[in-house]
Amino acid sequence: MDNFLQAIDTLTIKFALAAVLLPLLAFIINLALPGKNNKVAGWISTGAILISCVLSVSVFSKVWNTDHLVHQQVLWFTIGDTKVYAGVLLNNLSVLMLVLVNVIALPVHIYSTAYMKNDDGYNRYFAFLSLFCFSMLALVVVDNLVLFYIFWELVGFSSYLLIGFWFTRHKAVQANKKAFIMNRIGDIGLLTAIIILFTQYHTFDIDFLFGSIDIAKFASVHDFWVFNTDLPSQVGSIWVKGGAVPLPIIWQYVAFAGIFLAVAAKSAQFPLHTWLPDAMEGPTSVSALIHAATMVAAGVFLLGRVYPVFNETELTILAIIGCFTAFMAATIALTQNDFKRILAYSTISQLGYMIMAMGIGAYSSSLFHLVTHAFFKCLLFLVAGIVIHQMSHIRDDNKLEIDPQNILNMGGLRKKMPLTFIAALIGALALIGLPFTSGYLSKDGILIQAFQWSEGKSFIYILIPVFAVLTTWLTAFYVIRLIVKVFFGDLRLLEKYPSIKLHIADGGWRYVLPLFILAIGSLFPLFSINPFSYEQSWLFKGVTIGHNVAGEGVYHILVPVAVNIFSLLVVYGAYVIYAKRKISPFSQTNALWRLSFNEWYFDHFYKKYIVKPVMVLSRSVFWWDRRVIDGFIHTLAKTAMALSKLTAWADQHIIDGFLHLVVNVVQSVGNFARRFQGGKVQYYLYSMLVIILALFILKTLI
Amino acid sequence: MNVLTLLILTPVLFGFIVALLPSEWRSSFKFITLLATLVQLGLSIWIYCDFKTGASFAGVNHEDQFQFMQKLPWINLDLGSLGKMQIDYFVGIDGLSIALLVMTSFVLVVAALASWEIKSNLKGFFVLFLILDMAVMGVFCSLDFFLFYIFYELMLLPLYFLIGMWGGARREYAAIKFFLYTLFGSVFMLLIMIGLYLSVKDPATGNHTFNIIQMMNPANYDAGSVFSVLSHQTILGLPARAVGFVILFIAFAIKVPVVPLHTWLPDAHVEAPTPVSIILAGILLKVGGYGIIRICVGIFPEIAHADAYWLGLLGVISIIYGALNALAQQDLKRMIAYSSVSHMGFVLLGIASLTTEGLSGAVMQMVSHGFLSTMLFFLAGVVYNRVHDRGINHFRGLASIMPKYTAFVVVAFFASLGLPGFSAFIGEAFSLTGAFKSHSTNGLLPYWMAACASLGILLGAAYFLWTLQRMFFGTVNLKGGSVWKTALVDLNLREKLTLLPLALIVLILGVMPSLVFDKINESVVTFIQFLGFK
Repeated sequence: MDNFLQAIDTLTIKFALAAVLLPLLAFIINLALPGKNNKVAGWISTGAILISCVLSVSVFSKVWNTDHLVHQQVLWFTIGDTKVYAGVLLNNLSVLMLVLVNVIALPVHIYSTAYMKNDDGYNRYFAFLSLFCFSMLALVVVDNLVLFYIFWELVGFSSYLLIGFWFTRHKAVQANKKAFIMNRIGDIGLLTAIIILFTQYHTFDIDFLFGSIDIAKFASVHDFWVFNTDLPSQVGSIWVKGGAVPLPIIWQYVAFAGIFLAVAAKSAQFPLHTWLPDAMEGPTSVSALIHAATMVAAGVFLLGRVYPVFNETELTILAIIGCFTAFMAATIALTQNDFKRILAYSTISQLGYMIMAMGIGAYSSSLFHLVTHAFFKCLLFLVAGIVIHQMSHIRDDNKLEIDPQNILNMGGLRKKMPLTFIAALIGALALIGLPFTSGYLSKDGILIQAFQWSEGKSFIYILIPVFAVLTTWLTAFYVIRLIVKVFFGDLRLLEKYPSIKLHIADGGWRYVLPLFILAIGSLFPLFSINPFSYEQSWLFKGVTIGHNVAGEGVYHILVPVAVNIFSLLVVYGAYVIYAKRKISPFSQTNALWRLSFNEWYFDHFYKKYIVKPVMVLSRSVFWWDRRVIDGFIHTLAKTAMALSKLTAWADQHIIDGFLHLVVNVVQSVGNFARRFQGGKVQYYLYSMLVIILALFILKTLI
Repeated sequence: MNVLTLLILTPVLFGFIVALLPSEWRSSFKFITLLATLVQLGLSIWIYCDFKTGASFAGVNHEDQFQFMQKLPWINLDLGSLGKMQIDYFVGIDGLSIALLVMTSFVLVVAALASWEIKSNLKGFFVLFLILDMAVMGVFCSLDFFLFYIFYELMLLPLYFLIGMWGGARREYAAIKFFLYTLFGSVFMLLIMIGLYLSVKDPATGNHTFNIIQMMNPANYDAGSVFSVLSHQTILGLPARAVGFVILFIAFAIKVPVVPLHTWLPDAHVEAPTPVSIILAGILLKVGGYGIIRICVGIFPEIAHADAYWLGLLGVISIIYGALNALAQQDLKRMIAYSSVSHMGFVLLGIASLTTEGLSGAVMQMVSHGFLSTMLFFLAGVVYNRVHDRGINHFRGLASIMPKYTAFVVVAFFASLGLPGFSAFIGEAFSLTGAFKSHSTNGLLPYWMAACASLGILLGAAYFLWTLQRMFFGTVNLKGGSVWKTALVDLNLREKLTLLPLALIVLILGVMPSLVFDKINESVVTFIQFLGFK
């Protein structure tokens, strides 16, 4: 029986591996394909993702809710006594993500074949897209933290490549650099956390570290950091068996801080969120897949993986940050005029909900929201892509100088593009979280649990659910503002340029089919038969960690009813303001408006207080290198030169001078003495006389 | 004939051929040199495949466990009552040297291929190149300190001329700076070497010996000799062994280079022709790291233990300082040179941790940096050869006119900044792991060092990406205008054939680090055990 199970597992693993590796194969083939705009590239990538999709659904059906962990690994390398394994770990969470990524990626691929068809970098685009899919799929199935880190960075790398896809645009290149560097901050955090965990537990194995999340483990959060002395023999090293020192508890907080940074960077949370709006410089299909649906959710996925290491304080910090981010991003979205930027801020806001949900212990609601958000946000981005595409057509046909993404130029598009409009409407309602959409199911779950969480705590904690609800209403407002400005009224361009020609429509099946698939995913039936009860959703039950409160209590009625009735009022209000234009828009000069329009001045702050000081520091360090260290070396060299000149002078004038003196003395003495033997007799007699006289004088005197 | 000896003598043989051929045949010299390096590469790959692993082949302080050994008596002077002078030709390798040896042979092939750019005085260039080749091979194989020292000094001479004669505008300055800097270190090394010689006796023959492996055994030191472990002698009032360690460390630290002994490096790199930059960054820096492991730490382990904190601190300073400097550069080669300082800081940090992870990470980082700096300097040479300019701000939008070149640059830059999947990531990650783990296993390095060092990874991303953005992306805008635009043709076949294997190797080592770790692991474990950490 065990063998039989083993064989089934092996098959499942093979399927999962194939699902992961097919996009990699597509990446390699596309790199090797001749030409720059080779239509084959699109079909290779799409075909790969299609097969991956089928395979992942089959893996899903084998693993989901079987209570059986599929985990196999092979030895990757040995370093010292530490064996590092590479393997695949399939549980509910990973197969859910596996399917989700594939199901979102497939429509985006189809859409891209049309959206990018005239681009010079068509091959490159699909190669990069496949690379991203490979990294993302691998990220969700790997079983150890080193591999996790590898793919964590690789998704960031492929995102870098795709944000800067149009590399001749200055802004795009700025944006991808910013994205990568901000993500690097998170990566360092993650790496630090991994190293701390490794130092503590001597293994990188995710299953061993965090286990399959169950009640027992979850309850023992506080004891988890106590050093485990019963390490299995295959992990650990010679030092452990000798009894090593466990890390002080402070390092548990550092590890948390590291993981938090990683999450904040990847999932665009305060304070590392500013890269995501800029990342909208990439192709819109990329924004839909990477910067809305999948990669940015990786932070939430990471939290889901490492959940058991957190203690109560840390979870509360997560809740506060998530809630703050959700609120802040929603206020910014209120005043932006760039279609994609609004969506980007709404993504940040929704990710904030997920992080907050993790923080308040609504684990399964967080992941549920991750899934539903992926569908409706991807849908909205694809709609944005179509709209922007059509606006650029208008621009190019009429040679206008307009920004095709600016919603102030749009309006009345619902008549020209009815299918797109319907899709946008479904996406918008799901984003607001109105009933009968998937967004309702997941978001109301979070709100209800937030109220339950704050119950029995100090009254200050009530701020979290309150702000979460407030954010919902803000969301309703900016979403309706967006929809109305784009699809209702009349095309505002016509006011400025009355003579322009318009040839715009929904586009072919490659635009419509993806919208259709994603729209289905944005409605309730896919997730729950009962449109009003999130607890009955299969997904919610599947990733639950077992401590869920039963679906009772006053909040289960009160919260959804109150929130949604007021949401509807907001929707109506926004509609009135922007469509009927009966009420003049808000003052655009006050401080709050400016705060929102300037995105809370984060970029200004970072530039002024971080980027500039670092640059100044780097220049002064270089100055130090040139002037001080090299200056010292040069002084040494000059001193040596001066010394050597001195010795040369001494050599010439003192040592040689002495020699010359000796020579001169000898010479003059010789010259003098020579005269004594010149052969002149009178000279000899004269000198004899002198000597005798001298002797005589000396003798008489002494 | 011993294969290591063959490896060392091959370049000499080919050097003779080059020297003897008439100058009219000068166009063949580069092919002869390339052939020599290819023969060496073949030999070293054979050595790699034949290299045995396992506990009985760990080497380090067990002379009988070294592989491909050859020991010939070389200088044996009977000094009467003073005993016999014993200097051996003693070569052999273990896990600490095998990876560097293979990497060196590979880098030399690339350097030979990069020598196509040399146009003047070919005979002199290639003869010097081959002498240098022999010297670096000898350094990694020598197990006799005297022999090591000869090869070590022999590297300086050809390099001095290679920089001083074939270099850029300020070549004389750079050459003499390099020469004096390194000589400063090695002169004092000579004194320590003689001191060690007079302290150590070969137990088999009873003679004084230069044998490095004998020097690693405290029992071989004469009681009362200057470096004896037990007698605590002093030099100028300082403990003798500490002085010995510090002086040897300074000598090797200049080579690595460790801040603040690094300022020869940017100048030498900027002025040196591409092949010499490649050898400098790819191989010479590794001689420093290798020397620290095998000689400084190996012969003075207790001092290394006591001073690990300072070594780690210097490593962290090098990482951050080098990275900050790289960020400020306007010259592509100078930027790469400072990035080398930063990357080699990880090597020092890993060694200082004295853990298996740290030491393995350090060796891996050396191997990886060998390939990557080679690739980076080769790439810098590509653009320099075309327009004779390297100013980062003088180029913009190169990706549009040289797409293949840009692709390789992107690979090299991302691999260097430690993107997982490439070898540098493994090296850096495990150097950091070792540094962090050090506190709880042997209590040497504080936790904050690893945390600070990881900032270097962040800065690494900053300077590489900023350079990418400034030079390669955006719309085309060149300082030299249309003249440059026609000159900047994309990579030719030779360049592609050089770069592709390099890119593949860093990728393969990143995906399968076991290619290195399997060969070095036993030696690293033995080395750490030898240092006294069980």
